[in-house]
Order: sequence, then structure tokens, then C-alpha cells
Amino acid sequence: MSPTHEQLNVGESLRIHGISRRGFIKFCTATASAMALPPWMGVAMAEQLRHAPRPSVIYLSFQECTGCFESLTRSFAPTIESLIFNVISLDYDDTLMAAAGDAAEAALTKAMKDNFGKYVLVIDGSVPTGAGGAYCTSGGRSAVDTLREAAKGAAAIVCVGTCSAFGGIPFADPNPTSAWPVTAIVGDKPIINVSGCPPIPEVITGTLLQFVSTGQVPDLDEHRRPKAFFGNTIHDRCYRRPFYDEGKFAKSFDDEGARNGWCLYELGCKGPTTYNACATIKWNGGTSFPIESGHGCLGCSEPGFWDKGSFYAAQSSAEWGKGGAPSPRRALEVGGAAVVAGAVLGVGSAGVSRLRQHRSEQDAADRDKKEG
Amino acid sequence: MSRLTDIPVRIEPSARIEMPAVVGGLGGGVAAILSELVTLLERLANGEAPGAIDLRSLPMSPLDRAELQRVLGDGEVQATVNAQGLSKMRETGVSGVWWIEHFDQQGELIAELIEVSRVPQILSSASDEIAAGARALRAQIATAAAPPVRGGIHVPHP
Repeated sequence: MSPTHEQLNVGESLRIHGISRRGFIKFCTATASAMALPPWMGVAMAEQLRHAPRPSVIYLSFQECTGCFESLTRSFAPTIESLIFNVISLDYDDTLMAAAGDAAEAALTKAMKDNFGKYVLVIDGSVPTGAGGAYCTSGGRSAVDTLREAAKGAAAIVCVGTCSAFGGIPFADPNPTSAWPVTAIVGDKPIINVSGCPPIPEVITGTLLQFVSTGQVPDLDEHRRPKAFFGNTIHDRCYRRPFYDEGKFAKSFDDEGARNGWCLYELGCKGPTTYNACATIKWNGGTSFPIESGHGCLGCSEPGFWDKGSFYAAQSSAEWGKGGAPSPRRALEVGGAAVVAGAVLGVGSAGVSRLRQHRSEQDAADRDKKEG
Repeated sequence: MSRLTDIPVRIEPSARIEMPAVVGGLGGGVAAILSELVTLLERLANGEAPGAIDLRSLPMSPLDRAELQRVLGDGEVQATVNAQGLSKMRETGVSGVWWIEHFDQQGELIAELIEVSRVPQILSSASDEIAAGARALRAQIATAAAPPVRGGIHVPHP
């Protein structure tokens, strides 16, 4: 009896979809390059995965807008990123699956039972806990209950998007649904946060591919984001950085500075405190990223980005205020233990940002000293 | 000592002497890449594993890139792989140093590396696929009126 589609290994699944071994090597090489892995890792990952059974992935969507999923599936098709769907066995995803109702719920139960302890759980969206979880239910069960049950058998949880990673927009003040990020609900599993509103498709794919090919959680920063993609600020890698260093700033969106492509810091760009890969990987198949289109970074991959004051106020005034207490907001500490601080002043994340800024200034000073 | 690879071959450091002369006046980044290539080449010549340098991970100006290409020069071999977009590779003037560019289906450059190997890894055929090829051919021979094969897919007679 020939194997069913679910039983195929990665190589066979790729072959059925007309993707050769060489095409797959290329995909893995590009991913390794994007993740700053050693260049030889691409070929090694491809050869390792080709003979392995396709790892089971369960994708649950909670309080979200489906933008993250769109980012992954609607990028310029057919993209090399879309190959990920031949590498993994997407056993449950309510947006893509043909099944509905009881059949869909049965598919979820079966996938969790058959792959207990082995599947990768991808979560998209925050988890509302208000009104007994009634703000987000599917198949008569609340998101919070579904998450707790699905987490039990997961090898790891990948939070795709700022909502599942840090609470995102549902979590923003006044948080009417008492929404929380996954780290607030699940404490005993490896959790990888792939933040962004939405995250860059290559970052989602790269993180999944690296985990399924090595079985290892990548190096994470204090917000549990893969350092390979979130190791630098947008500002660090921004092509407009030389203008910042020269003190050349656009003062409005239609002035001479804006036309000359000067730094957007004074127009509210959050690049200096935002860790993401937009400036290097870019968007829409490498076309551009917000700053390249003339708009400052919103800081969407950082915790509490929606509550950090105006998107159009310079960070020096918007982020931690001048001569007054920062505006009250909910801030979140997700590094280390999965503990969530409740409603507190937003000094926590601002403090972290300031510490990072101080650190990068210190680094720059050290560099100057060495070079000088 | 029954095989050729058992004979210990070691490139003498004198091979390096030419490099500083060529490198003279180059930007630090280019000189560093060339120096790493020398190390990788010596390892390969000593029977060690192939290596590679990811060009996209290095901050190189277009000038540096042009300079690196000029120093390495052009070799005799060029190859193209058509799998999920084009991949172009050419051996540089330095034997064993391959310049490889991977493009996606939209023609965007998605990876660029310099590989130090006898032949780029992506070019060589895989053992399991060679075995599968033998099985497929054997089946073809066994079938009296073997249908023509195009790209590995059986095409029925019209």
C-alpha cells in the first residue's frame, strides 16, 4: 500500500509538488543565510530534513486579525517561503483546512493525540480571559482552554505575531477582553516569540525550519525572540543611519529633509528601540520596508508598542516623557519566567529600551575608542 | 597506502606569498575574505571538508564586491541550475573557488556565497536519487514498449 500524504517524508512531499532536491537545498541555503547560520548549514539542513517524516504543526488562531497568517501565505506566490508547507504537516489550521465543524474539531483532537509530545504548536493572536474566556470561542471552547490543552502535547510553542507574543493590540489599554500573551498562560514549554504586526514571512519560515530541522530552540533574546532575526535594532541596520549620525533629520513629511531621505527620528521613528529584521530582509520579496517608503518605524515587534505614545512623536518625548511621569499603561515583562505583571506603569519596557540604548551607545563609544 | 588520498599532501605556506602582493591596496573586508579563502583552499587540498563564505552576511560596498571579483577573476566553468528560480555558479580564476548566486522565481537574489569545493554541492547528484534513477531505467528496459520519459514523468503515447 502506498503511503498516505500524511506519511510521506519531506523529500517525497516536495517531489510530489514538483520541488527537487536542489530547489530545497536552495531554500535551506537562503534561510540559513537570512538566519546568519554558517553557510554550510543550508545543505546540512536540507539533507537532514529530506529523509525525515514531516513534523506535525498545529496552528491555532485566537484573538487576531489573520494578518500574520496572510503575511505567511499571501506573499508573492509562489515564493520560496511557501515551501515550508511541504516541509511541515499542517495538521490543523482553521483558516486553510477544508474541514469545518465537528470534522475540524476531530482533526485537532486526532493530531494532538497522534503526535503527542512531538508537534509544534503555532499560536496566532492573544488569549482573552475576561468573561470566562467568552470573547474568543471555537467549537464551544474558549481560547484559553484550547491553548492549555494543546500546549500539553507540544514539543515547543511558536507565537507568531505581537498579539500572541506580547498581547499586541487586544492587550492595549484599556484591554477590554483581559487579553494576555501565551507566556502568561503556559509556563512549562519552550516558547519562541516571532513578534511583529505582522512578522516578516521569512522570519516565521526561518524560525519554523530551524526548529524542525535541528529540534533545538534557537538562541533567544530577553523577550524570547530568535536573536538571528531580532539581534539588531532597525536603526542599527537602517540605510538612513548615516543621516542620523550627521544630525540630518526630516522635520515634516514634505520638507527638504524628507525629500532627501534624511533620518525620520524626529517624525517618530521607533527604529532605535525596535528589534526586528525589516531593514535587512525587508518586505514583499525584498522590495522595501516602511522607512524606505518614507515612514518611520512603529515599533510593532516590541512589547506594548500600541501604548507608547504617538507614532509621530520623537522617541525622546514619546517614549519616556520629558520632565513628567510616563503615561500610565500596561507593560509586560515576558523575559525569564512566564510571569505577567498586571496593570503597571510602563517604566518596565521603557527601562529595558533605555538600557539597550545605553548599551548601544556604550558599544559605539568603545568602538570609537578602539578605532581612534 | 593503497589510495591516492592516503598520500599526505600539504600546501606549503609559500603559496601564500603571491596573495599579499595581489591584496596590496585592497579594503580590509576584501583582504579578509581572500585570506579566509586561502585557509579554506588549503583545507580542501588537505582532504578536509569543503567550506563556504556567505557574502550576504558581510557588509561589502559595491566597490569591494567589484574588487573581490576582479582579484578572483574568471575560470572555465559556468553552470546554471533551474530549481525554484535560477541558480548561477561559476568557477573563479582560482581553482576550487566558486561564486554562487541563488535567485527566486521573481528573479530576486536570495543567497550569494563563495563555495570552496571541487564542485558545488548543489550540482552533484544525490546517492538516493541515483539509485532511484537506476531503478526507473531498469523498469523502462523491462517494459517492451517503454513510453518516452520527459523530466521523469511518464508521458502516455498519444
